Amino acid sequence: MRDTGIRIFGKRLANKIRGVARHRVAAAIATLVLLPWVAPYEALSVNILLFGLYAVGFNLVFGYTGMLSFGHAAFFGVGAYACGIAIATFNINWLLAIPLGTIVAGFVAMIIGALAIRTRGIYFAMVTLALAQCVYYILYQWSGLTGGEDGLRGVSVQAVNILGLELNLLNPMTKYYVMLVFVALALWIFSRILESPFGAVLEAIRENENRARACGYDTLRTKWLAFVLSGMFCGLAGALYAIHLSIVPIETAHYTMSGQAVMMSLLGGMGTFFGPFIGAATFLLLEDVLTLWTEYWQFFVGALFVFFVLFFPRGIWGSLLHWVGR
Amino acid sequence: MSGDAILGETVLSAHGVGMKFDGFRALANVTLDIRKGDLTAIIGPNGAGKSTFFNIMSGAFPPSEGRIAFEGCDITGRRQHEFARMGIAKSFQITNVFPQLTAAENVRIAVQAMKIRYDIWTPRRRLTEFAAKAAELLNLVGLHRHRERHAENLAHGEQRALEIAMALASDPRLLLLDEPTAGMSPEETMTMMGLITKLAENRTVALVEHKMKLVMGISDRIIVLHHGELLADGAPDDIRANDEVRRVYLGQRG
Amino acid sequence: MAVFDIPLQLWALQIFTGLALGSVLVLLAVGLSLIFGMLAVVNFAHGAFYMVGAYAGVFVFGLTGNFWLGLVAVPLIVGTIGLAVERVLIRPLYGRGIDYPLLLTFGLSYVFIDAIKMIFGKVGLPLSAPAVLQGAVNIGIGYFPLYRLFLIGAMVVIVSGLWLFLEKTSYGLVIRAGARDSEIVRVLGIDISRVWMVVFGIGTGAAGIAGYLSAPMQSVIPEMGIPVLVQAFVVTVVGGMCSLAGAVVAGLLVGVVTSITVMIAPQLADAAMFGLMAVVLLLRPQGLFGRRGLMD
Repeated sequence: MRDTGIRIFGKRLANKIRGVARHRVAAAIATLVLLPWVAPYEALSVNILLFGLYAVGFNLVFGYTGMLSFGHAAFFGVGAYACGIAIATFNINWLLAIPLGTIVAGFVAMIIGALAIRTRGIYFAMVTLALAQCVYYILYQWSGLTGGEDGLRGVSVQAVNILGLELNLLNPMTKYYVMLVFVALALWIFSRILESPFGAVLEAIRENENRARACGYDTLRTKWLAFVLSGMFCGLAGALYAIHLSIVPIETAHYTMSGQAVMMSLLGGMGTFFGPFIGAATFLLLEDVLTLWTEYWQFFVGALFVFFVLFFPRGIWGSLLHWVGR
Repeated sequence: MSGDAILGETVLSAHGVGMKFDGFRALANVTLDIRKGDLTAIIGPNGAGKSTFFNIMSGAFPPSEGRIAFEGCDITGRRQHEFARMGIAKSFQITNVFPQLTAAENVRIAVQAMKIRYDIWTPRRRLTEFAAKAAELLNLVGLHRHRERHAENLAHGEQRALEIAMALASDPRLLLLDEPTAGMSPEETMTMMGLITKLAENRTVALVEHKMKLVMGISDRIIVLHHGELLADGAPDDIRANDEVRRVYLGQRG
Repeated sequence: MAVFDIPLQLWALQIFTGLALGSVLVLLAVGLSLIFGMLAVVNFAHGAFYMVGAYAGVFVFGLTGNFWLGLVAVPLIVGTIGLAVERVLIRPLYGRGIDYPLLLTFGLSYVFIDAIKMIFGKVGLPLSAPAVLQGAVNIGIGYFPLYRLFLIGAMVVIVSGLWLFLEKTSYGLVIRAGARDSEIVRVLGIDISRVWMVVFGIGTGAAGIAGYLSAPMQSVIPEMGIPVLVQAFVVTVVGGMCSLAGAVVAGLLVGVVTSITVMIAPQLADAAMFGLMAVVLLLRPQGLFGRRGLMD
């Protein structure tokens, strides 16, 4: 009967999804490899790629450790500025500028983390927002270095030379795949972290921090380390973003960017590996589609987010995985 | 420290311990020793300060006054995560597990805490010794068949057993059990008491109970708290004969 | 007499400016603190409510031409919106985890901003103070804008009123008791959920009146609440959540610190309050008037 047919189809689909979830890094990378062929235009793919990585980095502290930070724009922004300044002002090779951006972002995460980690619960969101906004103001005022309100200009990496192969980054497809290499590497590292003993501790802290402490884990230090690692992933995303745009707008460090990470993570599925990418894609697609129709797209995205918070807190991917798990 | 304690025989001692919460005095001037190998029961009516004292002994918070020492070393004010590493473990009065992790993972992570905390690279499924020890502990408390269930889906009695398995994960020299039979049916209680007696064979166990009858038969030593103060301290027979204790418990069941 | 080459008189005037600026922050922080103390909710839409207050005031003024009417109407309008938000959107989230109401109010701020854009447009709207409050008055050390004096005075009146309400009335007692132990209040037969609603309304109403009072001093634009949210957070962290005294002291302190920094090192003015916050976080993480262990 039709009923059983649907049930069998559902079971097969569920098994497929479960399989995907098991080999998550490979599946994620495969999806990202195919993305430009599916996306309506290439710039969107790059945005999904980079904002997806940004959301993934954020998800380490939010979805996996249970810390709601509103300050991750600081790491994305600092990563972008550090990389951009290295390239535009100091003529440093792009291949060095990217890890530089990542490390500087990690360093900022160390400082913000040190100040914020000791605050408990919801306080943490407020403190991280404030500290990150402080970073924003510093970047804004230090216009000699950063370009201030106008942003940083001249981050042009037009052609790169890898192992003798000359690649033209002005070609959006080439740019996408070059950046994908970095993102793929980051995703692999991210997956290793999640599967490590440390990754288990993060989840334990999310489930019951008190209990984790009683077991013998120094939860403050663990959270701080998670925060720094998270900052580095976001910094990498920012560094790549600077190269992608060839400029660094000051808005990359504003707390509205932190808010975007939160939105993408929740919409996609916090605490899942691929959810943030889905969330990033959803958010960016919605923005694109809605702006064709109305200039008040933020109203609808905000309303959708409120809807998800109320009824689908697991997000798209998270809800899917949950349904499959049953 | 107790005057006639010989180093090595006293596992944990409290000296002049007091606790004040925002104007409410929960404990006052409690001085006692827990001796090695004993099964010590701390009893007293509700509100006597038993759980507060246990919380202090397990590092949840430091006392407002007084000092505590473990195996001769002063540990007052040390942070909570250090207590498990030192060899003191507590099972909680209100069940306190990792709800969305499986029972096996709950125990595995407690076991892992003793050896590895900051490894961000090794895949943990390769570190089989933790899972093996966890399986052993689950067996000990009788939870083996529930090992893949999420902790939040376990029955109450099973969650309490999980608590104990997690407390045992750190191989503690002092095991503190806070009302281990709370909310249990008579059968579950019997099972739990049997487990506790077995555990007490080769470690020092202290438990908080307010059902006096339960602990009388199995304890080596009884400590009675009342209104935050030490009322009596001695062998079960002495406590049974103690007039003050009888007065306090007059009309009370248990 | 001069400090840093700036005459003492100028210092004094700048401090007064800081008090005026701080007064707005006090009203914001009081609302935020009240909501958090009672509901354990961090209202990420607080800046948006501030902005809605300004627009509500523009609307009322446009309708009646009366500035003073706005002082009563705006908190009522904004407070009512707050009541509705708590009842319909936030209430379902209690018991789900501390982050959810925060996330919801965060999403709500996006909705509010664009809703206002839809209704009032994106261009800044002016709201001028009534003629009687314009101009400057000699306060002894120099001439100081009358409106700013009014602002400080209004803050004092509102905060005092709130304090009296919380300390001296039975409803206020319920609110304070509920903040400590909702079980007790429930046992006494008082509908605690209604109290939550009212408190959220009062808190957002305070934000609304803060917006209305600052409207004559700046351009009323849909984004005016965005920087304000951060300021409110900083003040609350400095003062300590759940403390009225903390909100007042911290608000005025942040106002004065910012104002003085504008005078001696203008490029650091925006960041000055963060320096203060960082110091407080390092030395006294629960805030100047906060209590330890309140956040678990």
